[in-house]
Amino acid sequence: MEVGRLPISAALKGKLVSAGYTSLSLLSSLSPSHLARDLNISENEALDILKHAPHDGRIDTSSGHHIISGAQTAWDMLHEEELLTRITTSSVEIDNILGGGISCREVTEIGGVPGIGKTQLGIQLAVNVQLPVHCGGLGGKAIYIDTEGSFMVERVLQIAEACWDDMLANNAISQNVHAGQVGMQPKDFLENILYFRVCSYTEQIALINYLDKFISEHRDVKIVVVDSITFHFRQDFEDMALRTRLLSGMALKLMKLAKKFCLAVVLLNQVTTKYAEGSFQLTLALGDSWSHACTNRIILYWNGNERYAYIDKSPSLRSASAPYAVTARGIRNNVSNCKRIKLM
Amino acid sequence: MASLKRLETEFPILDPDFQSFCALRGIFTVQDFLIRDLQSLVADAEQQPSSERFMQAINQVLYVIDGLHQPWLNGVDLMEDAQKNKHVLSTGCEGMDFLLRGGLRRGQVTELAGPSSSGKTQFCLLTASTVAYKYMGGVIYIDTGNSFSAKRIARFLNQISCPASEEMQPRVLQEVMNSILCHPVYDIFSMFDVLHCLESKLKYQICRGDNDERLIIIDSISSLITPILGSSGSQGRALMVSAMSLLKKLAHEYNLVVLVTNHTVGGDGGIPKPALGVSWKTLPHVRLLLSRDCGSNTYQVSLLKHPSIASGKAAKFIIND
Repeated sequence: MEVGRLPISAALKGKLVSAGYTSLSLLSSLSPSHLARDLNISENEALDILKHAPHDGRIDTSSGHHIISGAQTAWDMLHEEELLTRITTSSVEIDNILGGGISCREVTEIGGVPGIGKTQLGIQLAVNVQLPVHCGGLGGKAIYIDTEGSFMVERVLQIAEACWDDMLANNAISQNVHAGQVGMQPKDFLENILYFRVCSYTEQIALINYLDKFISEHRDVKIVVVDSITFHFRQDFEDMALRTRLLSGMALKLMKLAKKFCLAVVLLNQVTTKYAEGSFQLTLALGDSWSHACTNRIILYWNGNERYAYIDKSPSLRSASAPYAVTARGIRNNVSNCKRIKLM
Repeated sequence: MASLKRLETEFPILDPDFQSFCALRGIFTVQDFLIRDLQSLVADAEQQPSSERFMQAINQVLYVIDGLHQPWLNGVDLMEDAQKNKHVLSTGCEGMDFLLRGGLRRGQVTELAGPSSSGKTQFCLLTASTVAYKYMGGVIYIDTGNSFSAKRIARFLNQISCPASEEMQPRVLQEVMNSILCHPVYDIFSMFDVLHCLESKLKYQICRGDNDERLIIIDSISSLITPILGSSGSQGRALMVSAMSLLKKLAHEYNLVVLVTNHTVGGDGGIPKPALGVSWKTLPHVRLLLSRDCGSNTYQVSLLKHPSIASGKAAKFIIND
């Protein structure tokens, strides 16, 4: 029955059906008071039902294109995409394969074995997003959701100081700006990271539901890092079907956030082994259904002694891999000289 | 299915007297009327003082019910409709067109399933570009994963129009890209909302005789359905079937191609199989399963279900960067 398509309670649906309103077209030209009388409900409830019923007022005929509100043409989106700034990873080689860095409006999943530098990359992004616009940043704030308890504030300060150093050095070369004029201190980086600690999967879902409200009050948030999305979903879960449902619902909410507020969502993920074609292979955790949930997927892996990042999935970028290094100053390009010394 | 009260304005014979007669017997709507034993109702009505009026009213309701069904068509009509309206649209990739004998058929719903990174979105973007360019048709792209990339569309359009790496004229590019509309949608109810709006827009366009919509893509429909499917109630399944029947109706009535994508889950022995379970299987007209060799841009597609082609056939195709 068509009324089943309305996002209203089952009780109201039942009342609609028993009063004979089974098809949506019957609702289209009805006054709330009429419906309230027929269904024996309050007028507010009737108004709520009618709000969800389809009506023709949402089609914009003024431009001659008959665009349904909320839609965008590919041409308009192309221009918006060109204006989008990306968040640099601080490694030029990773930025190159990503087309400049982590993209806003998209959900990017980054996964890899323990110790490969997922948290480091997460912290680096939370710092880099704050770079002022004239330094190639977004001048925004970061939300950091920590599920594992691996966020080290001393390390953040270290990365922020290095980032600040680089910023000063770049400024001195290009614009002859003195240190005092930058107006940002390493401590400021810490202030602009909004940290949430999450201790169970219900807390995690509650927080992600709350983010919509929180970000609409803090519009300058430009990145949400979840470190890691996996942790609480890998234990104490017997009903795997429930897990799939919860995860896919959460993914859609994160997608919505990314699009609505034009921010980047970065989800860090762990790895697991998967039995395929007669052998065990390493793959990102949370299963096959989850692998569809993100817009982009980046896998971090070891190749000998070098760390590599590989684009596993992306609608607009081709698959490629690039080496990087985790240094005392944060994520940087892999300097092959260092490696050779280390090997000898 | 209207309530009897609503019918009164149109048919005065269904007066309050008759309504209260019906209400006493638990009949409020035309639907209630249908599931009642008519003979006993007639027998009841004959014993009432104003039996003649009641009989007239019952006949009137039956007449209304008779008028509700669609008119019949014979084979010749259907053939005419098929030849005139139900063409195939080229997808822009040769292997796929060859497998499907020309492309995606208008009036049908095609499902594209495959593991993550197997080329589903790429195929959708390519098909959207091809249909918009070759047939000058409108494309509705319902995007659930923020994966609609206008840049990629522009790149495909340049490939389709001039293979000799010449740039397309900006004016043509603008016109073609303006006919592709993207709707970001994050839950099934907003998808219904978009589809209902689309339906009334199409109705309006048919009246004016300028229907140019050709293609609806939902990438991916499974991510909208998974969060509601499999909970204790049957609500999720009902919404899934309802979504599909709406899509089929739109496809048939307005001669649209509908392309939806589905993800895969591990089946027997780790071989991927399309998600969404058994009751989904029967819904799409055409079902395709995609796969890709790791790291290459060669895609493999096999036919799981098709109304007129033997299933099990497979093909390979390449999507250029």
